[in-house]
Amino acid sequence: MSAATIPTAPRAAGRWVLGVAALAALLAWPLLVEDEFIQRIGALVMLSALSASAWNLVGGYAGQISIGHVLFFGCGAYASLLGFTWFEWAPILGAPFGIATSLLLALIVGSPTLRLKGHYFSMATIALAELARIVVVNTPALGGAVGVSGPAMPRSVLDLSFISPLPYYYIFGSVLAVLLLFTWWMSRGRMGFYLRAIRGQERAARSLGVPAQRYKLFALLVSAAFTSLTGSLYAAMLGFVDPDSGLGILLSVKMVIAAALGGAGTLFGPLVGSAILVPLEEMTNAAFGGGGTGITYVVYGAIIVLISRFAPGGLAEIWTWLRARGTRRGG
Amino acid sequence: MSIARRHLLALPALLSASPLLAQGAPVKVGTLLPLTGVAASAGGSAKAAIELAVELINTPQPDLASMPLMATSGFPGLGGRPLQVVIADQQGSPSVAQNQALRLITQERVVAITNGYQSGLVQTASAIAERHGIPYVTGEAVATNLTERGFRWFFRTTPIGPDIAAIYVEFLQSARVNGRPVTKVAIVNENTEYGTSIAEVIRRTAEARGIGIALQIPYAANSADVSAQVLQLKDAQPDVAIFISYTSDAILYARTMRAQGYRPPILIGDNSGFSDDNFVQTAGDIAQGIINRSAFDPSRPGSNSFKVNALYKARTGREMDDTTARIMQGFLVTCDAINRAGATEPAAIQKALRETNLDAGQLMIGYRGVKFDEKGQNSMASVLLVQLRGREYISVWPEATATAPLQLPYKGWE
Repeated sequence: MSAATIPTAPRAAGRWVLGVAALAALLAWPLLVEDEFIQRIGALVMLSALSASAWNLVGGYAGQISIGHVLFFGCGAYASLLGFTWFEWAPILGAPFGIATSLLLALIVGSPTLRLKGHYFSMATIALAELARIVVVNTPALGGAVGVSGPAMPRSVLDLSFISPLPYYYIFGSVLAVLLLFTWWMSRGRMGFYLRAIRGQERAARSLGVPAQRYKLFALLVSAAFTSLTGSLYAAMLGFVDPDSGLGILLSVKMVIAAALGGAGTLFGPLVGSAILVPLEEMTNAAFGGGGTGITYVVYGAIIVLISRFAPGGLAEIWTWLRARGTRRGG
Repeated sequence: MSIARRHLLALPALLSASPLLAQGAPVKVGTLLPLTGVAASAGGSAKAAIELAVELINTPQPDLASMPLMATSGFPGLGGRPLQVVIADQQGSPSVAQNQALRLITQERVVAITNGYQSGLVQTASAIAERHGIPYVTGEAVATNLTERGFRWFFRTTPIGPDIAAIYVEFLQSARVNGRPVTKVAIVNENTEYGTSIAEVIRRTAEARGIGIALQIPYAANSADVSAQVLQLKDAQPDVAIFISYTSDAILYARTMRAQGYRPPILIGDNSGFSDDNFVQTAGDIAQGIINRSAFDPSRPGSNSFKVNALYKARTGREMDDTTARIMQGFLVTCDAINRAGATEPAAIQKALRETNLDAGQLMIGYRGVKFDEKGQNSMASVLLVQLRGREYISVWPEATATAPLQLPYKGWE
């Protein structure tokens, strides 16, 4: 760990060049591709990376596997569109209320279950998310099973209703940048070390004086807030949410898979995972048209099996391994 | 995308249509259907119908000459250019429906988008078409709000909630149970957009005409067991039970009612699930005499409906159901408008759609005609009531157009 944080001067310079080049590429590529469908996939990658990175804070860094993060996503999405339905607000103005509700729910689910060891936290998150879905389905005021819609026609720029996918790409990308900066800052500070210690061996961490419960809860709260914001952004772009698309368990699973594929507990893992999964999902549909129905799910299943069998650490693990081999050969 | 790349992308499509090259490049229409997910069964039937429609348009069909585009090949209004359909799977997800609509518009460069199936998905997909100024025509999605959004590029050919509720209520007002008028009606509806909105409009229409809804039972379409709901009905003993269901739940209800030995005097199964050929084949024997609404009555030989159904059956081995027929009719209306537009510019097609004026004889379905009001809704859409006899739905009401007399009470498995 310490070797990585104190790099030698030329290597650090190389890293900076690489980082700036990657950032420039991320900013520029959508402008070079005129195809709106590809640009939209780019925006969806950012959206998926956002939710997966938010999940990564608690699921990756702290090692507390939540399979109910869609609960927070749904809070954000519903707050946005209910704000429009009830008060004719621009959808994004509902985001703070979604975040507030998410924080409250995170406290409710986290306070008791994060004290427990093992899978209780995962089970509680699934249960609460499913409960929320069923409550929404049966509550007409929340749109029931039918769902709620955003403004049919954009009224002002605040509605975030654009013809081109580019504004979405940059908005989602900016929020992702903020989240990744926070994650980076956190992982280098005391909290990052605490969380990794908790993930490694919670009992040992506690005995060394790490206030495990408090830090796990804090990670969950930040994660819930960003997941909720992702939901609000999704709702602003799509203009429609129903219980399946806003609170369905498949969404929680997608967050986990994107993070796990790229590398859970690594800074860029969720982005890499999303950049592979989202295009795969959309492209298979485009490529097979009506023919290869369901192929997406076959691919998903195969990825889960392959990751868990060969690289439980995700692509980041393979990358580290390749680099280690390269260094050994070079040295 | 550079022009060169666009041409490269179009190349495979051109090659596959090479026998048609003589008449010019094909005109592309995009169609959104649920080929995976809960509605995949209906999506499969619809796909076959759309492919049949393309074949009928691209080859001369003297037999169907009363319908637009059938006597000729391709689009005569566009110099005989052939039709090409690009079918995209919306996977039952509002987000995927929107992505695919965008792909059809920007990558496939379709001149119009049709169908979409579930109302929630039609809503998100048509929003993309509206923003890009591409005509969107649905032949099947019935949620009332779709045509209340002030969209300028959205058109709908199917009858919607109020049309459907009107025929049920008129029928119930004239029906007799044990020689007395119907007083006690129960509605059992699946709890998403489709079931909820239809149930609501039936309730409002019925109450406005003095028929009270004694009991309403909403349920989730993916339930594995519905015996509680059937018991509730059995206790209430309504004169009429109206079911609004998708396919698998419709089959489950028929089986559960058989198992519990419960038969209401009049049983109505609203369209979607009960029209699906899977329901008729799997549960038809224990649901004899169930009344359904339909806009499609293929039982009269010589009619366009009869001929189209025969062609469909030759292709798939199945009867065409009402939903599939409405999907196909919506698609055909779109193609007729493209032909009359005489151009592939979206604005020209939009104008032609607004000017659409088809009479009953030019359709493959039993609407009074197709003519869009200022909201884009077909003002000539209508339905009739059919009854299951054996493995076929026969039109029984209104009596003026009926093929056979109505038989009451509901027989079920007897």
